[in-house]
Amino acid sequence: MLVLSRQRDETIMIGDAVEITIVDIRGDKVRLGINAPPQVAVHRKEVYDAIKAENRKAAETQGTEFNALNSAIRPGRKAGLSPAGRINGAATPTTDNGQAASERAPRTPLNGNNARRRAST
Amino acid sequence: MQVKTTRFGVVDIADDKVITFPQGLLGFPDHRRYCLLEPGDEACFFWLQSLDEPALAFVVTDPARFFKDYEVPIRAEQAESLNIDKIEDAQVFVIVNKVGEMLTANLQGPLLINTLNLSGQQLVLADKRWSTRHTLMQVGIEEKQAATA
Repeated sequence: MLVLSRQRDETIMIGDAVEITIVDIRGDKVRLGINAPPQVAVHRKEVYDAIKAENRKAAETQGTEFNALNSAIRPGRKAGLSPAGRINGAATPTTDNGQAASERAPRTPLNGNNARRRAST
Repeated sequence: MQVKTTRFGVVDIADDKVITFPQGLLGFPDHRRYCLLEPGDEACFFWLQSLDEPALAFVVTDPARFFKDYEVPIRAEQAESLNIDKIEDAQVFVIVNKVGEMLTANLQGPLLINTLNLSGQQLVLADKRWSTRHTLMQVGIEEKQAATA
């Protein structure tokens, strides 16, 4: 690992586009200012690590653990699984939901309203 | 194509149903091709099954069924990278986990999928309202809850 010493208000460059400035130093806390292009994601590492760990844990889920949950899920019984032909059924928004999504479009957040809600009908 | 899975045996997947995560999922960068297995018409949980690794599968769900105020902000460059032109063409899933007796959903790392070209990405949300473990339901009384949902 490259280790650099910097003082307050000094900056390092990563490539041509990423700037990291030491904004403040107090005790054992350092405040950093980061300038990066929008396509460069900047996150605290612990957030990434938490999601990675959660993914790994989730990948250990056994099929049988979800038998009781979703009465329709019967892993191991091929007949219970639609051979991926249903992926559209799961992923394509229906009209009413698409409408709900477009109402929010100006704010650009996606909420799950654009998903089908067969269970509630 | 025939896909081997450890949980469901061999599943036949149409080529145009393959979901590609060009960057993989966090922690699984090398597994990029998945399919969504929908167990039945009334299912609210689905399996996101890796096409490359038979043992790799995640339970996913539509967060709107459980979290009414959950929103995933899509930055322009994220939409661009997945070629999402209209927000209606995108869908969010969240990965479900079982923690003790609780089912939890990872709202901090949602999966964003372009439903037109079936490319996806796992996002990292900075919003502190969302964590990796939001309670979905307690295992055991889920059928009753699902019926009233």
